[in-house]
Amino acid sequence: MSLVRLALRYPKLTIALTIFLTILLVSSMPTMKIDTDPENMLSQDEPVRVFHRQVKKEFGIEEMIVLGMVNERGIFNKGSLRKIKTLTDEIMTIEGVVAEDVMSLSATNNVISRAGLLEVRPPLERVPSKEEEIVLLKKEVMDNPLFRDRLVSSDGKGTAIYVPIVDKDVAHEVAERIKKLYRPLEGPERFYMAGLPLAEDTFGAEMFKEMAVVAPLAGGLLMLLLWLLFRRVLLVVPAMVVAMLSVLWSMGAMIWLGLKVHIMSSMIPVFLMPIAVCDSVHVLSDFYENYRGHDRDSVIKDVYTSLFKPMLYTSLTTAVGFANLAWAKIPPVRVFGLFVAFGVMAAWLLTITFIPAFLVLLKERSLKGIETKTSRSRVLALMADVSLAKGKAVVVIGVVLLLVAIFGILRLRVNDNPVKWFKEHHPLRVADRVLNRIIGGTYISYLVFESNESERMKSPEVLKYIDSLQRYLESHHLVGKTTSVADVVKRINYVLHDGDPQFESIPDDRRTIGQYLFLFLMSSDPDELDNLVTYDYRKANLWVQMRSGDNRDMSAVVKAVEEFVEENPLPEGITMKWSGLPYLNIIWQDMMVKGMLKATVGSYWVVFLLLVVLFRSVWWAVVAILPLSFSIIFSYGLIGFGGKDYDMPIAVCSTLTLGLGIDFAIHFCQRLRGGLKQRGDFHQAIQWVTKGEPSVAIARNAIVVGLGFLPLVLSTLTPYVTVGLFFGSLAFFAGMTTLFFLPALIVTFRERLFRGGQS
Amino acid sequence: MKHLVVLLMVLTLSSYVYSEDAKEIMRRSQNAFLYQADDMKVKVTMRLISSSGAERRRVLTMLRRDVTDGGRQFYYIYFHEPPDVKGMTFMVHKYPDRDDDRWLFIPALNMVKRIAARDRASSFVGSDFTYEDVSGRDIDEDEHQLLRKEVLKGENCLVIKSIPRKEDMPYSYRISWISEKTYLPLKIEYYNHTGKVYKVFTADEVKNIQGYPTVVRRTMRNLQSGHRTEVSFEEVKYNIGLEEGIFTERFLRRPPRSLLR
Repeated sequence: MSLVRLALRYPKLTIALTIFLTILLVSSMPTMKIDTDPENMLSQDEPVRVFHRQVKKEFGIEEMIVLGMVNERGIFNKGSLRKIKTLTDEIMTIEGVVAEDVMSLSATNNVISRAGLLEVRPPLERVPSKEEEIVLLKKEVMDNPLFRDRLVSSDGKGTAIYVPIVDKDVAHEVAERIKKLYRPLEGPERFYMAGLPLAEDTFGAEMFKEMAVVAPLAGGLLMLLLWLLFRRVLLVVPAMVVAMLSVLWSMGAMIWLGLKVHIMSSMIPVFLMPIAVCDSVHVLSDFYENYRGHDRDSVIKDVYTSLFKPMLYTSLTTAVGFANLAWAKIPPVRVFGLFVAFGVMAAWLLTITFIPAFLVLLKERSLKGIETKTSRSRVLALMADVSLAKGKAVVVIGVVLLLVAIFGILRLRVNDNPVKWFKEHHPLRVADRVLNRIIGGTYISYLVFESNESERMKSPEVLKYIDSLQRYLESHHLVGKTTSVADVVKRINYVLHDGDPQFESIPDDRRTIGQYLFLFLMSSDPDELDNLVTYDYRKANLWVQMRSGDNRDMSAVVKAVEEFVEENPLPEGITMKWSGLPYLNIIWQDMMVKGMLKATVGSYWVVFLLLVVLFRSVWWAVVAILPLSFSIIFSYGLIGFGGKDYDMPIAVCSTLTLGLGIDFAIHFCQRLRGGLKQRGDFHQAIQWVTKGEPSVAIARNAIVVGLGFLPLVLSTLTPYVTVGLFFGSLAFFAGMTTLFFLPALIVTFRERLFRGGQS
Repeated sequence: MKHLVVLLMVLTLSSYVYSEDAKEIMRRSQNAFLYQADDMKVKVTMRLISSSGAERRRVLTMLRRDVTDGGRQFYYIYFHEPPDVKGMTFMVHKYPDRDDDRWLFIPALNMVKRIAARDRASSFVGSDFTYEDVSGRDIDEDEHQLLRKEVLKGENCLVIKSIPRKEDMPYSYRISWISEKTYLPLKIEYYNHTGKVYKVFTADEVKNIQGYPTVVRRTMRNLQSGHRTEVSFEEVKYNIGLEEGIFTERFLRRPPRSLLR
């Protein structure tokens, strides 16, 4: 309160200080660094990431972009084949592409035996000119497991070029260069580009475009809503200033501390703005109600006397809810939580300093006519009447709805897929669908087999095991294609025995296998088998290509492999481990969901304790936290019924529910208790709270928050859409429960709440 | 004016002489490097080292016989290591005017297989060396220019640029440092089509064996992939009287024990 008094005494100084602080923090903005890699959801030393890096190094594996070419009349004609060859050659010269690991019909070696002559060379080493040669080429690749479903579709209409890149960060850039290469080659062939690294990197690029569009749009809408509610620009402006400044402060502080702006923190502005205006809406709403040309100083003081405590506590609970995320094991989530908390407290500080200073400095003329308005709403009055009169019935209805919502929650599906962060019609989504139809999948994971003795991966026992696991995996509906060193051995065996299908198998002795692999290696480039087996043959790498990047599908495949291993124990001394981007994604998702849940539950208790302190009563705390619990359960129930996946954005939202949902109830209870003290009569007090200014302010806030997030729905990126919809529904539910269920609850449990001579 | 004409004539003439010189230098170098004596036997240890430091080792005995200097040549290779390929043999008949003939014997299947000779720029037994690096390239296939003289590793060298006449090579040109004393190449840089060095050969140790200066340790580095191959020669012997009959399919299956110890 002393801060409010100071601000009232030195309004100009207060505003000057505010401006100074803002400039100080904003000055760091130009040094902003961006991090769009969802992999960074896991800290660098997370075991699964350490292993992923190790696998990448040992097997020389890079992240892959997949370029697909489709010709409805088939790709086996001179024109299409020439395009494959030209594109492959040109792609290899792009900076950031690992040329020696590019896979395509013209780059990946095949082993064939023709007229007694053994050849190791890519099928499309040169573009055939004669029809017979094309027929031969088609035959060579179509019945070859190393090519079919991997580099050529089984209907012969599509082909793929796998483009490994040095780092995920260059995916978008490399893709743009590739696009320039294939554009002039379009028709009748069509080209598509997909791959997880591309989706992740492109998301980053588009994210910032969206941020620049969506955040101001959200701000604009917020302003419009406030204006519709107050009809007075001079009362809208201060609330908006508070929202803007708290965003600038928290983003500025974050950048100033040298932290990167991650997908998570890019959402800070849209999250913070609607929350930040809430307190000012209460203040302005109250001021608006009570200022009737009276002494402005004392009206402001009165307003703050009745609102100071609830504002402090609503801000504290919100901030604590977010700050609790600091316990999560996910670095970007920590940053997000701490800086939203910081922003919330900044908004509070601004509300008790900047707003009074601003109100005091306003010219009398601009406040004229304000006293004629009164805050009444027929809808609110009707709701209050029903709730107060039929308290028990309302409570029963609430409980029934709650049970329905819980049923919805049980249907929640935890799932995510970075490709699905783009809307249905986005080129990346289209490419993803087409490519996953023509090849065995653009989602590539790795199963690494490891032994503690070298040369072990040449043993027939191990190779046969890998081979049988591959057959099992390929029969799984989610797996499109698998590739391992066993395929190479089988192919050579087959070729050396003049294409006798009986020999498309793993030989029984290690020496033969060793000689086959040696034969292959001495006829190809030094790095040829790198991606499949290490130099010392201690580790082998099985490529598992999936047609879906959904985390739940990856989890299903992981589980299927576990079942296989349970029934068919691994050869002795062999261990097996997963790696690859899709696998990494399920790990961080798991940590995210669990971490968020833990954080939310933790915050829940902290908020409860704060309420007990605030109300000095356990029962009041219980009553106040109930509407929040309702709204959370309703919102999640709705997601469950809507069939929407519980993904990263939803997990983020769950943390916000606490801080936001509780605000309405705190205001309601605190104002009721204040009103009671003032009026001395419970009925009068509750009538005033439910139908008068407090309810109107709460309803206004619910509208502002609910609609304020709506611009997000226009985004082309689904995480933003999700957040928008979720908050719309959450604000609606929280408002409804506070204004409709809370009065009924209070009436029903009145005796308990007002025991001890409080009424 | 008269002076200028004379000067121009001298210049054209000298550059002509220079390019003739360059070609002659390369011919001498190839004979000193890859065609010493009439035949040769050597035990070779090859270390294939990946960018991450992983290593593959190959030990082999190589027999070489020249039919004509700078022309036809026979190679016979017997693998000692890695252990599971012991007994594999490989033979190359090199012709100056057409593709090589190559055969491989696979003991596990008791099978001799002819291997397609793709191109000379392809990898030699999976190493960073190509067949050309091992057995040379027809001098007339390139245009040679003497760029300058330079001291390298304390030796006077002739620096020669060789540009393939046909554009079917992975490199657009190479630059060789040829020792004036031994005519051995001490360093060769391979330039890709964007004019960047991507492969470097270095002669790391030269020994005089039976009067023939011989590169006994050499390295080929691929700067693009970070992969390199280190080769060392031991038990080098020249003029042991290898017969042409050894370089036949029959001896692929039944390696001449006496020669391979």
